[in-house]
Amino acid sequence: MVENSKVDAAATNGKKMPSSNASSSHSEKGAEAKPPQKKLSNKELKMLKKKAKAAKRAARKAANQNGQQSSQGVKTASHIKKQMISAKIKDSNVRIPPMFGHLETREERISASPVIASIVHPSILSLTLKMSTYKVVGSTSRCVAMLDAFKDVIKSYKTPQGTSLQRNLTSHLSHQIEYLKTGRPLSISMGNAIRWLKQRISLVPIDMSDDDGKKMLLDEIDQFIKEKIVYSDRVIAEYASRHIQNNFKILTYAHSQVLAELFQYCAIEQEKHFEIFIIDSRPLFEGKKLAKELAQHQNIKCHYNLINSLSSVLEKSNIDFCFLGAHAMLSNGRLYSRVGTALVAMAAKKKNIPVLVCCESLKFSDKVQLDSVTLNELGDSDDLINTRPFNKVGFNLQQYLNKIEERKGHRNGSNNGGHNGNRNRSNDNEADVVDDGKDTILRNWKELRKLYILNILYDLTPPDYIQKVITELGALPPSSVPVILREYKSIS
Amino acid sequence: MSSSEHKLDILVDSFVNKLKRRQITGSYQVAHETCQFLMRVTSSSRWQSPEEFIALIRSIGQRIVKAQPREFAAGNVLRRVLALVRDEISDRSASASADNAPVNTAMFRLLVPPPDKQEQENNAQQGQNTRKIERKDDLRSIVIQGIRDLIDEIASVHENIAQMTVEMIHDNEVLLTPTPGSETVLNFLLKASLKRKFTVLITENYPNDIKLCHKAAKKLAEANIETVIIPDSTIYAVMSRVGKVLIGARAVFANGGCVTASGVATACECAKEYRTPVFAVAGLYKFSPNYPFDRDTLIEVGNSGKVLPYKDSDLVGKCEVTNPVLDYVPPEFIDIYITNIGGFSPNFIYRIVLDNYRTDDVDFS
Repeated sequence: MVENSKVDAAATNGKKMPSSNASSSHSEKGAEAKPPQKKLSNKELKMLKKKAKAAKRAARKAANQNGQQSSQGVKTASHIKKQMISAKIKDSNVRIPPMFGHLETREERISASPVIASIVHPSILSLTLKMSTYKVVGSTSRCVAMLDAFKDVIKSYKTPQGTSLQRNLTSHLSHQIEYLKTGRPLSISMGNAIRWLKQRISLVPIDMSDDDGKKMLLDEIDQFIKEKIVYSDRVIAEYASRHIQNNFKILTYAHSQVLAELFQYCAIEQEKHFEIFIIDSRPLFEGKKLAKELAQHQNIKCHYNLINSLSSVLEKSNIDFCFLGAHAMLSNGRLYSRVGTALVAMAAKKKNIPVLVCCESLKFSDKVQLDSVTLNELGDSDDLINTRPFNKVGFNLQQYLNKIEERKGHRNGSNNGGHNGNRNRSNDNEADVVDDGKDTILRNWKELRKLYILNILYDLTPPDYIQKVITELGALPPSSVPVILREYKSIS
Repeated sequence: MSSSEHKLDILVDSFVNKLKRRQITGSYQVAHETCQFLMRVTSSSRWQSPEEFIALIRSIGQRIVKAQPREFAAGNVLRRVLALVRDEISDRSASASADNAPVNTAMFRLLVPPPDKQEQENNAQQGQNTRKIERKDDLRSIVIQGIRDLIDEIASVHENIAQMTVEMIHDNEVLLTPTPGSETVLNFLLKASLKRKFTVLITENYPNDIKLCHKAAKKLAEANIETVIIPDSTIYAVMSRVGKVLIGARAVFANGGCVTASGVATACECAKEYRTPVFAVAGLYKFSPNYPFDRDTLIEVGNSGKVLPYKDSDLVGKCEVTNPVLDYVPPEFIDIYITNIGGFSPNFIYRIVLDNYRTDDVDFS
């Protein structure tokens, strides 16, 4: 295993290049890859590209020959993938309700495994962990966090000998993305950002030095974040703030970054006074985050309710507008968002409250989908067995905690004759205060063969409930989503 | 005399306190306890005439309803007993008058002049005097027998409702129940599982019913029913796959609306949106002759610490938090009510109510 890892480390960079057997093409390319100071003509450029291609072909051929002798040293994309899979934590215990059997399950990987550690950048590792434990959550913040991590990756990236940045960086990133996906599936915004980034990488001029190319990419990523997220949110907030007037009552669901910005913008810069009704739900309680951000403003009166009191909230308080965030806008005008959004939108619509969706155009997707069941993200069922708000821990930490618990159990087991009853009683009292997570009715739910716990993360809101979608490009009806996709495809 | 009154006072006080302290909760429990309580009241109280007894029950009813206005079952049981007494009185006066002058039962007698009224009244007076004493004890035993029947009825509610399972569920159906805390629903499903194979989606109803939900889910799964626990937010996402929505009502009103656990109104609205049939199960003792004119008076509000625990100290005090325990579901969201005396459409409920209660007793005050 140790040897293997060493080989891996060596081979990570030279993905398609066995170290020994491609020396001929090596020297050739090494000479040429030196950045020419003067600007090359088109013809020369073409020649360069051709040569690079030829070199690659030769390398691949050599690799194939070599592969038969020592398959250990080879590092093809599929090979890496295979090794990634082998690092997977096998959890046969995952149980999905029959209706939802088609949905992908989360697969955590041991980040400590040498294979993974040699391929995946530490920032990606930490980001994956943060995402899988919902420390980084929400389409926008996940996308920004990912781009920031990619910046780290690009900064510490070195083009291995014998290949070019344009070609190798993309595949290097692919491995990072592959790992990132294991934490949680990519969001639509992340997918769009990745597509953009890969395109930008391929457009780095071939005659540019690696350092310059990296710097250019880093600048472009910063630019992208500013343009597509920061300024877009600002524009959306400015536009949507027209709908919020003094003493208005606004209904919203869970947490959305752009909505938080909108409400803060209205409260601070426009000094409007309004009431906000935050509806929240299990298991993530994202609405608390929004409430924390907004409750500190004097202009905003915060109401916090869980989704079961939705009908009471709508009945009692005269809501003026319902603002919703988005995970994605699908091409058929449907809103793909945190599970529960559809319920809120429906209830608001039935009470004739206009439903407005704030969504950056980055989140527009050309996918179409008709119901929430066919395509969705499955969360961990265990997140729902606690009757109290939970704190999700990663797999490794959980194992560590279990071990500690076990040790404690051993120690207690040896010396607690009369203690036991006492402890139980105090447990009962504490149950209302402390979330110990173990003391639930369904602690052993997996032993019940017929019991399933469904934890899907998104649902689909039909366009009939949505009055309009506010993007940085303007406000439009949900039916116009494909128009935006069509018109702006060339620009982004 | 005074000692027996004192005894009665103690009886009533202890029952009212139990209700106030929520030592008796849940409509089934409340109905049952109220019956037992009424039995004791009937046997220990002293009264001269049936009218006096009615007044006594009404005054007790007033106190009980005031003590716990949202436990409708208690008031309903009282009304059932009152109706019983009133029926008995009218039966007697009918039979008393029948002794002397048979009521016009046939068409051709309509035109015959009635017998002299004065004479008839005299006869009735005489009869009353002679029967007065025997009648009182008679009435007492009849009322006690009636209450016993009522107890039997309440005890067998679940079985009677469960008889309808075969008509309501087909094989491999997916049912959704947004009221995990309802005993009636749980019993209905358990009974149904003997005859049909189906899947139950059960919502958590966080925060008020989540423990009950887990208990119910465990019971269902142990009975070999495919059970899926879903968070409340997931109702819309799965509704397209649901065959029928099954709700347990806490109280049913004369207009066909019902009060039940919070969150159910939204679930039923969602079902309506998907054209999924909604059926409510409720024992007859949950039917209330009132009309839900004011939604706010019906909805009970619970501990908001369950919504926002004190752990979130930076939010507590800054946010306004409410935790309604109940929800009002309007009749248009419900397709049928399954009761222990059969299934009814919501717009027929007023009739069932009229059958079981007297209009004089709708309001105790």
